[in-house]
Amino acid sequence: MDEVAARLSRREFLRAAAYATAGASLLRLGPLVSWAGAAAAKKGTLSFADIGVGDPGGDWSKFTNATGWGVNLVAIGNAPSQILNVLIAGGGKGVYDVINIVGGMQKPLVENDLIIPIATSRLPNWGKDAYISEFLSSGKPGFEFIGYKGKIYGVPTVLQGDSFAYLPEKTGQLDSYAALFDPKWKGFVALEDNFTTAGQKTALYLKTNKLATIKDPANMTPGEIRTVIDFLIEKKKEGQFRVIWTSFEQAVDLLTRREVYVMDCWEPMVFAARKKGVSAVYARPKEGYLLWAMAAYIVKNPQRPADREKGAYDLLNFMLDGWYGAKITLLRGYMTNPQAVAYAKANAGDFSAAEAAEVARIHDNVRSKFRLGGTWQNRWPTYVEQYESEWARFKAAPSK
Amino acid sequence: MGTVQGSTQQITLSRRLSGIARYVLLAIPLLFLAVFFLLPLGLTILVGFFERAGFWIRPAFTLAAYQAFLGGPRLFVLQRSLFVAAEVTVLALALAYPMAYFLSMHVRPQVTRTVLLLFTVPFVVNYVIRNFSWAYLLSRTGPVNRLLEALHLTAGSLDWLLYSDFSVLVGLISSYMPFMIYPLWLALAGVDRRLIEASWVLGAPPLLTFLRVTLPLSIPGIFTALIFGFVGSFGESAVPIILGGVGYQLMGNTITSALDVLNYPLAAAMSSIVVVVMLLFLAAWYLLFDVPAFLGKIVRWRV
Amino acid sequence: MKRRVGVGLVAWIYVFSILLFLYLPLVPPILFSLAPVAGGNAPTVHWYGELWRNPVLVTSIKTSLLTGILTALLTPPLGLLAAMGVRELRAPRAVLLLLLMPLFIPGVSMGLGNAFLFRLLNIPPSLWTILIAHVLWALPFAFLIILTAMTTFDPVYLEAAYVHGAGRLRAFLDVELALIAPGITGAATFSFILSLNETVRTGLVQGPLNTVQTYIWSTYLQVGLSPTIYALMSLLILLTVALVLVIRPMMARRAIRVTL
Repeated sequence: MDEVAARLSRREFLRAAAYATAGASLLRLGPLVSWAGAAAAKKGTLSFADIGVGDPGGDWSKFTNATGWGVNLVAIGNAPSQILNVLIAGGGKGVYDVINIVGGMQKPLVENDLIIPIATSRLPNWGKDAYISEFLSSGKPGFEFIGYKGKIYGVPTVLQGDSFAYLPEKTGQLDSYAALFDPKWKGFVALEDNFTTAGQKTALYLKTNKLATIKDPANMTPGEIRTVIDFLIEKKKEGQFRVIWTSFEQAVDLLTRREVYVMDCWEPMVFAARKKGVSAVYARPKEGYLLWAMAAYIVKNPQRPADREKGAYDLLNFMLDGWYGAKITLLRGYMTNPQAVAYAKANAGDFSAAEAAEVARIHDNVRSKFRLGGTWQNRWPTYVEQYESEWARFKAAPSK
Repeated sequence: MGTVQGSTQQITLSRRLSGIARYVLLAIPLLFLAVFFLLPLGLTILVGFFERAGFWIRPAFTLAAYQAFLGGPRLFVLQRSLFVAAEVTVLALALAYPMAYFLSMHVRPQVTRTVLLLFTVPFVVNYVIRNFSWAYLLSRTGPVNRLLEALHLTAGSLDWLLYSDFSVLVGLISSYMPFMIYPLWLALAGVDRRLIEASWVLGAPPLLTFLRVTLPLSIPGIFTALIFGFVGSFGESAVPIILGGVGYQLMGNTITSALDVLNYPLAAAMSSIVVVVMLLFLAAWYLLFDVPAFLGKIVRWRV
Repeated sequence: MKRRVGVGLVAWIYVFSILLFLYLPLVPPILFSLAPVAGGNAPTVHWYGELWRNPVLVTSIKTSLLTGILTALLTPPLGLLAAMGVRELRAPRAVLLLLLMPLFIPGVSMGLGNAFLFRLLNIPPSLWTILIAHVLWALPFAFLIILTAMTTFDPVYLEAAYVHGAGRLRAFLDVELALIAPGITGAATFSFILSLNETVRTGLVQGPLNTVQTYIWSTYLQVGLSPTIYALMSLLILLTVALVLVIRPMMARRAIRVTL
């Protein structure tokens, strides 16, 4: 009996020891997690929140080799709530160094004391970016995407103009947002679940075709919003829309499966569909484009040491660089910065001739959209609450 | 004599000490829940009455958020959520019960365990990807439609397979039904076979035995299953996004949407309504059924 | 006899149809994971190798595993204490209610409440905040499973242990814990799976860490799923099926031999 008890307790002891060892090695895994992806980082790791567009395939080696900083990319959602919740409710202020999202969020970000103004003199690449002076400088509508009350807060990382996609094999050539509401494609149309894209494009369509009195599609009054939503609900009741999509993946599949023929969406979805062998086209509507830019902000953190802040500036500068720009253009299909085109052409080691041509083609295409104009997306309109509640009314309305 | 007394005293002392230690130990999970569960819920209910101040909130007592919810289009979302959750739960129960019955009554425990584990395998796959697969399978040009056409069961592709109430049901049932099998099986496996045999011996036909003996004894399991199914579907937000039609929303979606514009009081108010609805269900469950009795002898020792 | 076999067959066909229904959505990810490399047509296993070259994904896999393991280690003891609390404490009904309540709260509400609380207490988001959200979610499940296991345990065994001179702790460790061990491992497995799948709550308290779920969700929304992600899912499916069909029965057989 005693022997058994002794053996038992020895076994228990051994088991406990095994658990303790396992536990200790787990605790050591903790730092490992935050250090992964920063192999050559000598100075530390910058915390970089991104909506998924700014990830250069996980390869930060050029930045790390040049500056000694590693980058820990955290993928976050693009909804304003996600971003602000991460920073406000989630306490992300003390955590993130740089946050890269669709621009135009300066008002809520600055008024919540979440970001700091950027000293552009600390960014050698700022002056080399002709897109900034051409489309985003103070006084131009694009300034809304990076500045607030005369100060610069965001570094533009991606520029783009949105319209809609269609399948010419089913519809022939299309050149107006009217196609989204054309009874000919009833049941074969999709919209994005987003009042600042689908809502604003509808407003642009109604205004330019004089179907409604809307002063500024980018910042509507509550009455104007109601008009737009009433129009959409009317169409929804007729069974015009097949689905309101919410994700990149879903939108691409709607095209590749020919689930819909006309779809309000982003251009990279068309690129993705073409790669899968579907000849989708991104329309050049006569009403113009919905123009927008992504911006990288430095998150305000008074406790951040000076060398870390310099690291954050280095990261912003890196994102205005040729290699990063070309890489993001290739991966996502967006225009980035002017140096990207030249870099891709000049560095055959990094980019093949075909890739360099693709970068140049995308940049030319997007630049021409900006010249055509249209309406600048407004991520935070004055009556944003009415936008949201009216959009909820649209979604809750019966279909067919 | 004296030594014996001393040791008795020692025993009582150690008993008492271990009593305190025991209470401290047992209070750990309760403390954990009080801080990380009750407190946040209390905060949420409070925020529902706050007013917006810029992009944040300010303590106040206003019913504005509740008025916005009850007087707006979102009330429809609450109705739909209640209806859809009930529908899913009943259908899933109808699918799961016969299976749980068969596994508990007619299959060796060894095999049953493997089968039950097979039901958990799909859950290691991300639910976004699982539901997204359904969108592929059910699309106008997808495999299901092509199969139906190849079998000459349908002429053209069926539109209502995807982006419809049907696809939402498929997504929700496949997400929550497996959770329901487990409590059903547990309850059925726990039914004392001697009662069933007694019923047979007394000459009751199998159906009557089932209705009079097995079914009533498995009711606690049915209710647990109903709750697993109902709560899951009621709070779901991914399925409507991926498989729902034109703007299909359940409560989870409409709360997220209010958060989108930082309308914390509205989000908190809707959240509170959801919480209250759920607590009503919990109360009903608790009052209608003797939960402690179901959960067993453990409780009866003390009560 | 013949009729019984027929009924059994029908029942098995039914069970397997339901399983087929549940496994159907697992087929496309496996097919998509074999997508040809740019320029080719033939299916490849290229993306399975690519998986380990995406540092963001690898880091999120590590975070998910770490959180899952910690959740599986921390939740069952809490659940066990809670289950014993129901038995030992004064107000078992109140304890029971409190423990079951988290089951009734949708993820968005819970995540938001937690985020409010962490902000109020000035707790920065980290692995620990994720862990708290996950343990909170897994606890009622673990508690129910352990409580169910306890109901099958006859306290007579404890009395027997006391009679033979075992102390409370010894009786508990050697007799009760041994007998309810399946419940505890079940609770750990469940906690692990629940943690691996959690997205909504995590998204609100994640801070600088991605789990596989939050990574997939944001990729899904913003840039599209890649064959790499499908490869990861396929690996998970294969591993789990292998675990259920091969390793478990093997272990069970060994256990039988040992008892014999």
